[in-house]
Amino acid sequence: MFGKLSWSAIPFDQPIPLITSIVLIGTILGVLGLVTWKGWWPYLWKEWFTSVDHKRIGIMYVLLGSLMLVRGFADAIMMRTQQAVAVNAAGYLPAEHYNQIFSAHGTIMIFFAAMPLVIGFMNFVTPLQLGVRDVAFPTLNNVSFWLTASGALLVNISLFVGEFARTGWLPYPPLSEATYSPGVGVDYYLWAVQISGIGTLMTGINFVTTVLKMRCPGMTYLRMPMFCWTVLASSLIIVAVFPILTATLAMLSLDRVFGFHYFTNTAGGNPMMFMNLIWAWGHPEVYILVLPAFGIFSEVFSTFSGKPLFGYRSMVAATLFICVVSMMTWLHHFFTMGSGPAVNTAFGISTSIIAVGTGVKIYNWIFTMYGGRVRFSVPMLWSLGFIFTFVIGGMTGVLLAVPPADFLVHNSMFLVAHFHNVIVGGVVFALFAGLDYWFPKAFGFRLHEGWGKAAFWFALIGFWVTFTPLYILGMQGMTRRLQHVNIEEWKPMLDLSVVGVAILVVGVVCQVIMLVVSILQREKLRDVTGDPWDGRSLEWATPSPPPFFNFAVMPNVEGEEAYWGIKLRAIETQQMSPMPKYEPIEMPVNSPVGFYTAFFASVTGFALIWQIWWLAGLGLVGAFIGFVVFAWRDVHEFHVPVEEVESADRARRASREALMARLAEQGALP
Amino acid sequence: MTDLPATVETIRRVREDPHRLGHRDHGPEGPVKGAGHGDTGPANKRIVVGYGFWIFLLSDIVMFSCFFAAFAVQRNATAGGPAIGQIVEMPRTALETGALLLSSYTCGLSFAATNARNKLWTQVFLLITGLLGLAFVGMELQEFISLAQQGITPQRSGFLTSFFGLVGLHGLHVTIAGLWLATMMAQVQLKGFRREIVHRLICFNLFWHALDIVWIGIFTIVYLMGIGP
Amino acid sequence: MSDLDYDPHSYEAPLDHRDDHAPGDEPGESAGHWVANSNLGLGFSVVLTVAAFVLAGSHLIYGPAIPVALLVLAVAQMGVHLVFFLHVTTGPDNTNNVLALAFGVMVVFLIVVGSIWIMNHLNQNMMPMDQLMRMQP
Repeated sequence: MFGKLSWSAIPFDQPIPLITSIVLIGTILGVLGLVTWKGWWPYLWKEWFTSVDHKRIGIMYVLLGSLMLVRGFADAIMMRTQQAVAVNAAGYLPAEHYNQIFSAHGTIMIFFAAMPLVIGFMNFVTPLQLGVRDVAFPTLNNVSFWLTASGALLVNISLFVGEFARTGWLPYPPLSEATYSPGVGVDYYLWAVQISGIGTLMTGINFVTTVLKMRCPGMTYLRMPMFCWTVLASSLIIVAVFPILTATLAMLSLDRVFGFHYFTNTAGGNPMMFMNLIWAWGHPEVYILVLPAFGIFSEVFSTFSGKPLFGYRSMVAATLFICVVSMMTWLHHFFTMGSGPAVNTAFGISTSIIAVGTGVKIYNWIFTMYGGRVRFSVPMLWSLGFIFTFVIGGMTGVLLAVPPADFLVHNSMFLVAHFHNVIVGGVVFALFAGLDYWFPKAFGFRLHEGWGKAAFWFALIGFWVTFTPLYILGMQGMTRRLQHVNIEEWKPMLDLSVVGVAILVVGVVCQVIMLVVSILQREKLRDVTGDPWDGRSLEWATPSPPPFFNFAVMPNVEGEEAYWGIKLRAIETQQMSPMPKYEPIEMPVNSPVGFYTAFFASVTGFALIWQIWWLAGLGLVGAFIGFVVFAWRDVHEFHVPVEEVESADRARRASREALMARLAEQGALP
Repeated sequence: MTDLPATVETIRRVREDPHRLGHRDHGPEGPVKGAGHGDTGPANKRIVVGYGFWIFLLSDIVMFSCFFAAFAVQRNATAGGPAIGQIVEMPRTALETGALLLSSYTCGLSFAATNARNKLWTQVFLLITGLLGLAFVGMELQEFISLAQQGITPQRSGFLTSFFGLVGLHGLHVTIAGLWLATMMAQVQLKGFRREIVHRLICFNLFWHALDIVWIGIFTIVYLMGIGP
Repeated sequence: MSDLDYDPHSYEAPLDHRDDHAPGDEPGESAGHWVANSNLGLGFSVVLTVAAFVLAGSHLIYGPAIPVALLVLAVAQMGVHLVFFLHVTTGPDNTNNVLALAFGVMVVFLIVVGSIWIMNHLNQNMMPMDQLMRMQP
């Protein structure tokens, strides 16, 4: 009746998951109770959960990603401390549990922290920078978000009902096959990632179409902000490689549930094919994450140096180069699996070549700063920290790209340090830079600068103190994923790493304090003009936060850095552009289809995990009915009346005029 | 309070460097009209929907290619069981191919009728398309069942797994497309040729044709290459 | 350079014949032309399909060349479908569609050819799993 589900699924005998679950469930119930008591459900439902506004969806993605980042970080703290105390000792985490923790850490960080955060930024910024009102498929956007949330939900449920995978964040067979992992852990992983993977694929389709087919008048390809180019490249990679993930995980599911022989080690299955296919997805995946990060840095470097981005066309070329070559390097993740010198050499060369694209970008960013008036604001600090950190991480990557060298350090702590180096230095630093940069646009007030700088310094120092010891340990021969350590000489480095983690914790606390303080002081930090950083691209032409339709009239672009031109002209002529003729605007209506789809996806996923077949069928039928009901909708858009458009725009023009008047007073105008 | 030194700096720099070497604009001056390709603002919704679905189709083809790759890698992993030559039945394959190809043709005809806003012929050709698709799936089910009755199941070997997986995935797509077709027929009947219905018919057409394109790959690589002289 | 930093024209305009086309769609085309295209597509496809079926398992050409010939026929037929049923042509209104298709084809090529190349080498250098398992005590 209930498949494999029974009361023994709840970890009554394991204190750590049990206590964590109780605390988490208590907190969640508390939050839900608060929302109910305050009567916020109608507002949340109407304004956020069913919203098809890219800005709201972007904020929800960032919130989801941030929460999961904290959960993933908690896993990391547990891992580092376990390794430090378990030197010729048992440690406090049994192997069964430790294996789940490192698997959950990787899975959560990649799929439910980094991806949602990056996609959240893509969502919020791209239509504003392109000068349009929303993405190509707004309702699909909402569905994507909720499917991702559904996957995150399933992963978190595994904490208190059942278990998680013990295979690492990529479940290699034969360990992940039913014979050797008969429990539900791998199934939780498979369905959580499959469901959110569908959401991500739809996001990719959405953004490819948006960037290619929806730009404001005059915005040719070579007039787009650099961030939009990286969004395009990243979305192209998503569209190209997420189907590989879907296919491969589906094959593994078929093996586990129906006894197929794709990757089994008997009857003609080929486990190595899993590694081949999953890394054909896995390598481009990291470029999906890092390309928008590079885009964020392009925006920050040019804004805070007061100069246009150096070498725009070479940046575009480098981005597209990375986009294509990223799909030609995947074997470097399994050089040691035995494909022989010819294959290894080819992929070693392609891996080294792809570094050239990034090199071009780094030089362009440095030359952007040269000759400019650099402001060391918080986003700029993160960017400078990135240059230093990522370049070193990239160099260790080029070292790993050499097959004979990789044979020595494959799956050692050197590898672990390398990929954290590039992901933290590249993606995480970019996300914090972007958070500080676009927070005023999203919420109307800036983040507290002092706490922001503190958070940066603790993060930068904490990162290096955590991971330099791991580089050293890797070179000394320490393998990854060790639940306990038998070599006494490694203890000092492991302890030093934990000190680094403590510094990182302080950094995280600083971030939280920064948020709280900024909210409390929001009037003082209010962004009245919409352009707090002297920005160069179109999102800074809107008020902070922008009206739901973004632009009262779509801007007309005549060069690179659309907003910069508008601003210069206004300042030189000391007057605003003429008042436009306002027209009513058509905007898409909200829709609950995303929430319903994700609800049934979660039900189906849970049912498939526990093999409750009737419930899975019910979930699928429910989802289908939801689609049909949505397809029958007659009203897709609503009209925004001219008066509303005009009054929003008049307010914006008034604030800009006030800004110009103030500048004229200060004598800042020529 | 914002400080705008950079803006002023730029104005000064422009006055000193009128040619703005290295910072020339790209693209024509002034507002651009009629040049297509996104320069004139966001594209019409019909184009946006069609293009988005095209991108989705390409992603679906990538997913199929993974199953093709698995088939290519495991084609000889028969584990002592039957090989491709022993499970292919040419007459049935020929019938399946004919049915699907014909259904692609009638699907195209139905879209011609849609463009002419002719509800009757749209529905007639959609119905024929659906029946041909049903025949295709029916024959495939027959094939699978008859194989299973001989003990030839996907659980037998890696080769059979990849065979049933690839052909079955395609059959599943055709089945889902069939459900979609039925829904579209109902919508056309009840709502006529409203803008979004036509957009969905464009997408359906793309999907159905793409399934036939994938079938070309399957019948060639799996079935025809499997039989030796 | 115009004085306006906004666009004075509304964009609810109907399809401009100079605009891009979505694949599978040519709104300006007459039904007769469309049916003619479909007929040509069906005709060519039938010829290519019959040729493939006849060729397979026959002795009409040199044996080892048959798989290659079959692939050529398949690719040709896919082309016929793309051109006659999906209207993906090389005109300037189709550039985005063709580029997307080329990108997709590149990815498919990388996955299929790459996997076959890699797995072949792996299988040459590593003992097959079955044998490995039989060596277990």
